[in-house]
Amino acid sequence: MFRRSLAGALAAGMAAAALLTGCGGGGDDATDGPVTLKVLTWEPGGTEYWKQVKTSFEAGHPNIKLEMQSVPFDKYPEVQGPYITSQSGPDVMANNAGLELFDRRGAYVPLGDKAAEITKDLVTYSGACEGFDTSKTCYGVPFSYQGNVLYYNKAVLTAAGLDPEKPPATWDEFGAACDAVKKAGKTCLALGLSGTFPAYWDFPEIARNYLTEDDIRALLAGKLSWKDPKLVAVLEKLAEITTKGWANKNAPSITMLPDGADIFQRGDAAFAGTIISDAVNWEAFGKALGDDKLGVTRWPAIDPAAPLAQKFSGIEGAVYGVTQWSQKKQAGLEFITWLAGKENGELWVKYGKGQPLNKNVDKALLPSSPAFLKIQELVAQPTLHAGVMLSGPEADALARGWQQVTLGQLTVDKWAEQMQQALERSPTKKQTK
Amino acid sequence: MTISTAPEPVAADAPPAPRRRRAHRPGQAREWWLGAALVLPALVLVVLFKLVPLVRGVLTSFEASSGFGGSEFAGADNYTRMLDDPMVRTSFRNALLVVATLPVWIVIPLVLALLIHQRSPGWKFFRAVYFVPYTIAPIVVGIMFRQILAPDGPLNALLRGVGLQPLAIEWLNGRYSALFSLVAVALWSFFGLGVMTYLAGLATIPEETLEAAYLDGAGFWRRLFSVVVPMLRPTVAYWSVLCASGVLIWLFPLIYALTQGGPGDATMLPEYLVFLTTFQFLDRGYGSAIGIALFVFVAVLSIFSVRHMFTEGTRKPR
Repeated sequence: MFRRSLAGALAAGMAAAALLTGCGGGGDDATDGPVTLKVLTWEPGGTEYWKQVKTSFEAGHPNIKLEMQSVPFDKYPEVQGPYITSQSGPDVMANNAGLELFDRRGAYVPLGDKAAEITKDLVTYSGACEGFDTSKTCYGVPFSYQGNVLYYNKAVLTAAGLDPEKPPATWDEFGAACDAVKKAGKTCLALGLSGTFPAYWDFPEIARNYLTEDDIRALLAGKLSWKDPKLVAVLEKLAEITTKGWANKNAPSITMLPDGADIFQRGDAAFAGTIISDAVNWEAFGKALGDDKLGVTRWPAIDPAAPLAQKFSGIEGAVYGVTQWSQKKQAGLEFITWLAGKENGELWVKYGKGQPLNKNVDKALLPSSPAFLKIQELVAQPTLHAGVMLSGPEADALARGWQQVTLGQLTVDKWAEQMQQALERSPTKKQTK
Repeated sequence: MTISTAPEPVAADAPPAPRRRRAHRPGQAREWWLGAALVLPALVLVVLFKLVPLVRGVLTSFEASSGFGGSEFAGADNYTRMLDDPMVRTSFRNALLVVATLPVWIVIPLVLALLIHQRSPGWKFFRAVYFVPYTIAPIVVGIMFRQILAPDGPLNALLRGVGLQPLAIEWLNGRYSALFSLVAVALWSFFGLGVMTYLAGLATIPEETLEAAYLDGAGFWRRLFSVVVPMLRPTVAYWSVLCASGVLIWLFPLIYALTQGGPGDATMLPEYLVFLTTFQFLDRGYGSAIGIALFVFVAVLSIFSVRHMFTEGTRKPR
């Protein structure tokens, strides 16, 4: 009797194990039916774009099904962190290029020689590689281009007596424009300092006036002191934006997304410094204000003669990599290879309304919005993006310090000291050093 | 025939009865096993979900880590580092400021509960209304109050509307106004639970006692402090313990939604700093060390309050 029960239990156990293996719990390239690939994403480019990704990829790859786990951007680290610490979860995950990716690189399969093969048609992908160097280890592939520009509302400029076709090109002109806008009863620069977005978006635009590309690489390596006169000068100019009254007064207590961006979208501000892809870009602003009212320009130059002053702070967008713990690495590689390809590049342009990285994307598909066309001109002269060179503690200290400086609670020198302390606290940069 | 329960008289000169071994009844053993079986699931849960994470947290606090990669033993480095970290010092200083608001957390619900208990006009309505904020998820409360406390939000509009223009400040913008706005929102969110707790305690006070005090001419405040509070000591003590520990570990969703620890470090509390250090800065070892420091801080505060609660709770009212 007992033997019969034991045999029954063993048989049931084996059947269950076989069933589980068949359901995708097994190894690579399952032959019985399609493999299900779990993808963790914050859906850069919007839900519609990701629907198209799923449909198009699955249509071309009947052996792979995609199961998307979509998490809001601001909740992403909290969801991703436990997956990485427990070395389990999705087969493919996203991270922003730069230090965010490098901080989590232990989760990803290094692409090795495949990197060049997968990314052969991309304009750039160095932000997916260690130290922004494609000859070093790369952890995933991007498919979009990202970076900062200054958007402006032509109607607000006109109402302030300014020429909307000639936005301010220098720091002094910007100050004069802000005075005129304020006199007309509007906010000059829509800004929300709670959170790290301004650290990522505004800092590189000032830094371009003082730093060379070598300085920016030194910043990445943690070898450029925050007490260096160049970085202190960057902080001084950042402080001027708020202390000179160019931004909305409540900037320290609101976030850039959505609050600061809302001020601009409502037509209450003349300028907003944000990004070229994803949300809060030319498309969202064009919809809110009308494409004909939306202008886009480079941030005003503090020193127009500085080597990088007339450049575009560019960086690849979200990078997708295959996780170390995935049992379906081959399928994961197939998916990220497809993400970097022409077909997805065209979906990205059409549905995500973003700047593609793939060189072969049909130019006829590119949006015809005047702002987008202007962005094409600006991105043609790229440089490194100083914002993504900041570690978490530095970005946080930059954001908090700017809040305190704005409220008159901190001097710029003290801010520089706090930045240096943050650099010394940074686990990533400490290790780099 | 009468049955007496009095013990049998023992003869003075009778030798003491030999100590008998306790009878080993099978029923007793069964009861013991049943008791153990009932306690076991709770014990397993406590070990798995309280003790193991705590031990794990302590171990992690002795590690140095970079990003989500591997970690190495760091000895007491994380703890010594905390001593030099101005953000840690600020967060605990802010925590003490929050703890200093405890009398308000204790007294306001008590006063409101007493007003409801003595059936003030509209008491049924207020009993329900006061509890409603507690049923709203704190993250929703945070988002809601971000709008309400905005410089051009409804609160300031109301203040300006009734002629209190000077009070229409930027609630979330200042060094102290932000912290106390945060505490006020938390209080709004949680005081309903306090009212309910006190109402449960008040139900145990005999009606006649309060009536007698009323007939003796005791006013509201006199009844509160001379009759209710002494008789309600165990409930007040229980609520105090809950608040003392709660204000240090409840506020995360509100900080997250309202201020993110800012402006600057104005609303940075240890629990938010643990989150920031661990998940934003990816410094797990240091984040755990701050978490353990917070645990000790809350434990010391709670032990003090619990001891006080037992002393007060077991004292008979005079």
